[in-house]
Amino acid sequence: MQAGALTAVTPAIAVAGLRKAYGGIQALAGVDLAVAPGSVHAVVGENGAGKSTLMKILAGAIRPDAGEVRIAGELAEMASPADARARGVGIVYQELSLFPDRSLLANLFPDRQPTRLGFVDVPAMRRRATPVLERIGLDADPDVSVGALGIGERQLVELSRLLIERPSVLILDEPNSALNERETGRLFAILRELSAAGITIIYVSHRLEEVFQIADRITVMRNGAVVSTEDRSSTSIGKVVEAMVGTSPRELFPPRRDPVESATRVLDGAPSGLVVRGLTVADELVDISFEARRGEIVGLAGLEGAGVATLLGVLFGTRRADAGEVRFPDGEGAPHSPTAAARRGISLVPADRRHQGLMLDDTIETNISQVTVGALHARRPWLDRAAMWAAARRQIAGLRIRADGPAAVVGRLSGGNQQKVVIGKWLEVGPSVFLLDDPTRGVDVGAKREIYRLIREFADGGRIVLFRSTELPEIVGLSDRILVLYRGRLAVEFEGGEIDDHGLLTAINTGHRPDAGQAHPAPPSSPEEVIP
Amino acid sequence: MLVALVALIVVVGLLRPNFLQPTTLFQQLSGAAFIGVLALGMVFVVSIRDIDLSVGWIFNFSAVIAAKAMVLGVDPWIAAGIGIAFGAFLGLINGVLAVWLRIPVIIITLGTFSAFRGLSLVVNESRAVVPPDKTGSFFALFDVKLFGLIPSVAVAFVVLAVILHLVLHRTRFGYRVQAMGSNPDAARLGGIPVDRTRILVLVLMGAIAGLTGAMFLGFREAIDPVTGGDYLLPVVAAVIIGGTPLSGGRGTIVGAVVGALIIQVITTGILFLGVDVKWSTFVTGAVIILAVAVDQLVRRQRERRTRDTVDLG
Repeated sequence: MQAGALTAVTPAIAVAGLRKAYGGIQALAGVDLAVAPGSVHAVVGENGAGKSTLMKILAGAIRPDAGEVRIAGELAEMASPADARARGVGIVYQELSLFPDRSLLANLFPDRQPTRLGFVDVPAMRRRATPVLERIGLDADPDVSVGALGIGERQLVELSRLLIERPSVLILDEPNSALNERETGRLFAILRELSAAGITIIYVSHRLEEVFQIADRITVMRNGAVVSTEDRSSTSIGKVVEAMVGTSPRELFPPRRDPVESATRVLDGAPSGLVVRGLTVADELVDISFEARRGEIVGLAGLEGAGVATLLGVLFGTRRADAGEVRFPDGEGAPHSPTAAARRGISLVPADRRHQGLMLDDTIETNISQVTVGALHARRPWLDRAAMWAAARRQIAGLRIRADGPAAVVGRLSGGNQQKVVIGKWLEVGPSVFLLDDPTRGVDVGAKREIYRLIREFADGGRIVLFRSTELPEIVGLSDRILVLYRGRLAVEFEGGEIDDHGLLTAINTGHRPDAGQAHPAPPSSPEEVIP
Repeated sequence: MLVALVALIVVVGLLRPNFLQPTTLFQQLSGAAFIGVLALGMVFVVSIRDIDLSVGWIFNFSAVIAAKAMVLGVDPWIAAGIGIAFGAFLGLINGVLAVWLRIPVIIITLGTFSAFRGLSLVVNESRAVVPPDKTGSFFALFDVKLFGLIPSVAVAFVVLAVILHLVLHRTRFGYRVQAMGSNPDAARLGGIPVDRTRILVLVLMGAIAGLTGAMFLGFREAIDPVTGGDYLLPVVAAVIIGGTPLSGGRGTIVGAVVGALIIQVITTGILFLGVDVKWSTFVTGAVIILAVAVDQLVRRQRERRTRDTVDLG
């Protein structure tokens, strides 16, 4: 169905002036959107653009602070997901909400099972399930437990469950992040069929190529607002990427190392770096090979599930490689545990500092000493409180942690200062390798700039630095080299300065270099303005 | 919690002044010793967010083994040492099973609770084991009173508490224990050897249970097939009343001592007041809930102050 009919037809679902704030953060800042009945409408945007918040409001999972939702023209006040379902809106979330130990049939009727004389009417469930399963093309025994099915099949179970309720609007929030190409193709065939049958589909995804395969219309969100909505036929991947990224402040980043200078440095210094050859982890990483030199910041980019987290896990000893070789500068392979990693000076700043990095109820002193006291070998069993105190003072001064002193409780510090505590506890080990997983998540701009400067200092100190970020401008602005992972493969490699946000976004979404024809007119290779 | 203990003693003392005699007071300390020493070990276990359900039967089994060794003619001191080592060995079994099989300690010890009890019954043939010769220095030790006043069991309780307090708060091992309880993921990703530390904690718990068994044997000069079977709940109660949260990370040895004393004073206080003993069990339960409720309140207050801005990705 063509979306040009939009003006003539009442939208299947429409929102106006939708606002939602969490704490001080405006997740949605006045969103207007209308979706034509029977169309496939894609919503794209970077992390934090507000897509998921919008979808949750449409599905009744959260309530907006302001604004209205209309379903088939009628004002819909939805207080719960059940309200939304009753109005014919169904949603498939990225994380499946199935019961893996229960049967497929039981999963299709999580509540409101048909009953007979007060008992669950299993034959009626079968009767209702069979046509839906056939329509979806899910060829599985209804009595098999869902945990035994593959991820693609589970996705179809989730979809079937919604279809049993005969929705008029179907929302898919990044449904294919776990699917392989064949499963994605199958999903798209089903979606086209549903769309042809008059069901409206809202499709949220990161993978732009796939969006362009399936969508009739594409809406781009950025910073909690809709920046564009266009027919697929009148836009392009390049235009969509441009709308997603907008412009980004470059002055946050320290100057990049001159490639000639760094090459010389590598030659006359210790030539050894981190060497990875043919690294493979079943279903997650395929034949990854690269080198990371000392003194160089290597940015790792990729979608969720593309393998970046797995790669960092292998390098830090939380994951095991199935094949391939890792060689650190100390001549040894991948550590077999985080303890081994810590003792060899391999450090990891984890993505979720509150849950994985810090003891929030404890003091800076206790936290800063975590690795030195907890992980390293020591001759004496006693705690050296004087040394712990001195270490805390050293890091507070060196990293400019804003706190009352070593006795300050970490849970009360700001996000940026908390992150510095995590960095500080590793600096105490004197690490030779820094793995940073999204080091500026939830950190304010000022602290971001300081963390960028620190990362550059780590590299300048001759360390190996690998970092991942969910914010593309950060990878583009900071990295000397960028490795793009796509579906577990090392798909593209960029030199620092070679690529801009748009190009990188295209690469992580498609797995290959942006076409020459779509290159952005103003690559950032021009000298960047830097505020020291 | 110390306030609660003092208040309890004062209340009982006002109603029955006899209770405040030094002999009676120190009897409280020795009466609390067996549960109390076990609670000292349990503080470490709870600090890493685990719980060892099998302590009572490690205690019993170790005491039975020590008593059997004495029956076989082994010197009582050496037999006591065997009991302690045996307790440590049972703790090692708990720890290794939990770590290798990746099963929570509470589940493993639910199994070994029965297993150790059963094996103990096999060894003691469902009869009390009584060492034949009770004239040696080992047994004499338990009749000694420091300054003619403080029973040696009470002295041992206090000395152990001081040692374990230092271990928990002044050693790297203690630091690791608290760090694991404070945030298990951060501990692992911070390079703390969490598996080894968990095993060590359970070995320590086992050794302490073995030591308690040896002390019990010296004190009572026999070990029944059933003694220890009902120790688990008062031990955990002492830990929790003392202020060690089940969420780990903030273990307190001093608190466990106070917790054990509170339970003891409730029990004997009720006797002193001439109330039916059955009430002491009820009051202990009520005190546990009260203690945890107060703890929760304090924690919520603290969290309210700690909470900072919402952290969105």
